[in-house]
Amino acid sequence: MAELISGRQLRRVATIGAVAAVVVLYLCMVGLVEAFKDRNVVTGVITLGAVMLLAVPLIAGYRAALPARDPSGPTPGPAQRIVFGLLVGLIAGAVLGVFVLIASAVDVRGVLVRISPPLLAFISFGLPSGLAQLAITGVGGLVGALGALLLVSPARIRNAVTSGLVAVLFMSMIEPLLRPRLEQLDYTAISDFLYKAHGLTEMASILCFVVGAGAALLWQPGNELVRRSIEAAPVQTRRRIRGWTIAVLVVAVLILPQVSGTFLAQVAVLVGLYLLLALGLNIVVGYAGLLDLGYVAFFAVGAYLTALLTSPDSSLGIGLPFFVALPIVMLGAGMTGLLIGAPVLRLRGDYLAIVTLGFGEIARVLFESDALRPWLGGVQGILGIPSPFPVRIDLQLGTTHIFATGPQVLYYPIFAFCALAAVFAYRLSNSRIGRAWNAMREDESVAEATGVSTVNYKLLAFALGATTGCLSGALFAVQLGSVFPGSFDVFVSITVLAVIILGGMGSIPGVILGAIVLIGLPELLREFVEYRILVYGAVLVAMMLLRPEGLIPNRGRQRELHEAESEEEEETLDGDLMPQRGQT
Amino acid sequence: MSSQPAVHGQSGPPAAQTPAERVLELNGVHTYYGNIHALKGVTMDVAPGEIVTLIGSNGAGKSTTLRTISGIERAREGTVRLNGRDITKMPAHEVVALGVGHAPEGRRVFSRMSVAENLDLGAFRRSGPDVATDLARVYDLFPRLKERRTQKAGTLSGGEQQMLAIGRALMTQPSVLLLDEPSMGLSPILTEQIFKIISEINDQGTTVLLVEQNALMALNVAQRGYVLQTGKIILSDTAANLAANEQVRQAYLGEI
Ligand SMILES: Nc1ncnc2c1ncn2[C@@H]1O[C@H](COP(=O)(O)OP(=O)(O)OP(=O)(O)O)[C@@H](O)[C@H]1O
Ligand SMILES: [Mg+2]
Repeated sequence: MAELISGRQLRRVATIGAVAAVVVLYLCMVGLVEAFKDRNVVTGVITLGAVMLLAVPLIAGYRAALPARDPSGPTPGPAQRIVFGLLVGLIAGAVLGVFVLIASAVDVRGVLVRISPPLLAFISFGLPSGLAQLAITGVGGLVGALGALLLVSPARIRNAVTSGLVAVLFMSMIEPLLRPRLEQLDYTAISDFLYKAHGLTEMASILCFVVGAGAALLWQPGNELVRRSIEAAPVQTRRRIRGWTIAVLVVAVLILPQVSGTFLAQVAVLVGLYLLLALGLNIVVGYAGLLDLGYVAFFAVGAYLTALLTSPDSSLGIGLPFFVALPIVMLGAGMTGLLIGAPVLRLRGDYLAIVTLGFGEIARVLFESDALRPWLGGVQGILGIPSPFPVRIDLQLGTTHIFATGPQVLYYPIFAFCALAAVFAYRLSNSRIGRAWNAMREDESVAEATGVSTVNYKLLAFALGATTGCLSGALFAVQLGSVFPGSFDVFVSITVLAVIILGGMGSIPGVILGAIVLIGLPELLREFVEYRILVYGAVLVAMMLLRPEGLIPNRGRQRELHEAESEEEEETLDGDLMPQRGQT
Repeated sequence: MSSQPAVHGQSGPPAAQTPAERVLELNGVHTYYGNIHALKGVTMDVAPGEIVTLIGSNGAGKSTTLRTISGIERAREGTVRLNGRDITKMPAHEVVALGVGHAPEGRRVFSRMSVAENLDLGAFRRSGPDVATDLARVYDLFPRLKERRTQKAGTLSGGEQQMLAIGRALMTQPSVLLLDEPSMGLSPILTEQIFKIISEINDQGTTVLLVEQNALMALNVAQRGYVLQTGKIILSDTAANLAANEQVRQAYLGEI
């Protein structure tokens, strides 16, 4: 053994194995494996529970085979790396095996409620104790070795296999969305070919794997080819290509709700509402650098003002048309922004965050309060908000029949507002105002000393952020037809902040992607609803480790984040102006 | 000691001027940080075209004096006048517009922005053709900055950052330039260069108030100087006299 694996390598393998074992046990104890042990991925072949369990030794084996961070000492050869993977898998498998043995002998359900006999049987492959332990350990080792094998194989093959597997998993995960829609559209033959008992059929999974792997194989040369031919093309053609790309994208966005059906349109509407909020908060946090944790207040103000002005059942009872009310709502929200912004002008960083958090809660409590009930309706909220948008569209255009209901209709105005807000924010960030915000965010007192009125620019950021947020609130009110204080809790603020942090602060494409990932995905993965927060947290932690600057970082901020972390902290924590730094 | 330096408050400043002739005039200025009494009645003035230096040991209140002038800190008592106009209570961004350019201590450039963007921000409140003229002037003074126009300010060397901070202050088109320890952390050669450039800026007509640890160099380029100790001006005289002063030599020029 001594020449096959050095002491340090052994320690590393043992550590990774232990981590894998803990993750496997965690997945079992938290109930994820049990919950999905009957959810087919490939019907008759593998279930989601098994995928979850097997993914752990696979990834751990892959990791164990990666070259060590510290390059001193001999570099292990491919065979040795596969042994590392094998060992890691064996460790994880053995620990799980022992756990199963203990759990079947002693009743642990008093503490670990999720460790049920069916789960244990599932993990043991239905084998009796002893044999089962052998099998679990063996499978663990095998999968670990496969993970390592994946790493030592050439990059092309690795990418192809990974992307094939991801394609299979993806297609089986979207079954709850895709199959009903296919059947609705009368493509039963396709849906029958693809799915059986909620999982992919064997034929379909092979097809998916081949398509995924093939796409990966062709991706790089294809990409290269396309790029080269575009570069070679004359400017005019290139411009035309870009025009067409944009046109295709726009058309895709426009027909999405028609193709996707009501449920996806509903999700898209939600994504749009949050996107609008995120674009607004991005002005305040991303551009001006003011950490506002009470952003929900503006969302609430927008919704309530809309309700008050447009609902005939509200205390005002004037029932204005939506588009007449909207400018008033925006004005009101902008004023609220100034109102909240003014007292916190001198606060920075975490103090500002705490105070705005308080403002957000105050807003909710006010909307909920009995004292204001005659005007705002207390916990019952305000009902009867009419929608300015048609409930259904039924059109015959030549041979095509367009039919859309509820969210499929609302989708369009929301995305129009999002597009407006995005363009507005983009223009803003490249203007004189954007420069002032940049300067202010970096060094407030120096910005002031170069002539930027930080007071005015902070207030402007609050007002513009509030106006954008209230648009979202107004559309939200219209969408529901009613408003309740319960919809405006602190989680809205946190989620919106998470969207812009995940996406990349100050970057509009980042914010858009962030909204899709954080708002859209959880809605689409309804099956995981019980574990949503868990997955959410895990994704965020992983993101912050892998890409702390966000998915699509703002230009120029990426490098800074890594370089100036300590300085950054100092700056945000500064209670006062210049002096802290540079005193000799 | 042949010439006795004037002790402040007992005799007037050596260069006698009528108030209207002073670019900058501080009268009994008291500045506090919370309870900390940082400036305890500072009185000083700067005449047009002068280089005046303010020297003193660490924590004497030199930076605080500059910050009080440029409006970043506010005097609780006393007055600050710029060209005869009371600017004591004026916010910093308006003081800039009236002609006070401040290159703060510690090379505080906007590190995520390029050199050009930094200079551009110096001209934030201005527009028109003379911005381009001033930019050309700054690039003329600091050719290094011109070479590195597109580089992020945070990646400049310390000396280059100092040049940028000075250049940015010049872009505000100041009638008086406040420089806070421009030589801090620079090599002797670069320090000399910076001081030469300060003289050059002054020759081109900008009044300079210079805060320095390097008292010898500062007194070399300046016409007059003030010595600040724990928030009070304890000496004020011509630069030559201060450089010859026993007390100053012992405390600030490293002589025994
Ligand atoms: N933000 C602040 N909060 C509290 N006290 C401060 C602050 N800034 C400065 N001080 C205090 O005020 C006094 C004067 O500080 P100042 O920075 O003006 O000194 P300085 O003469 O510039 O010193 P140095 O040569 O070290 O830069 C010091 O005692 C300092 O501790
Ligand atoms: Mg200082």
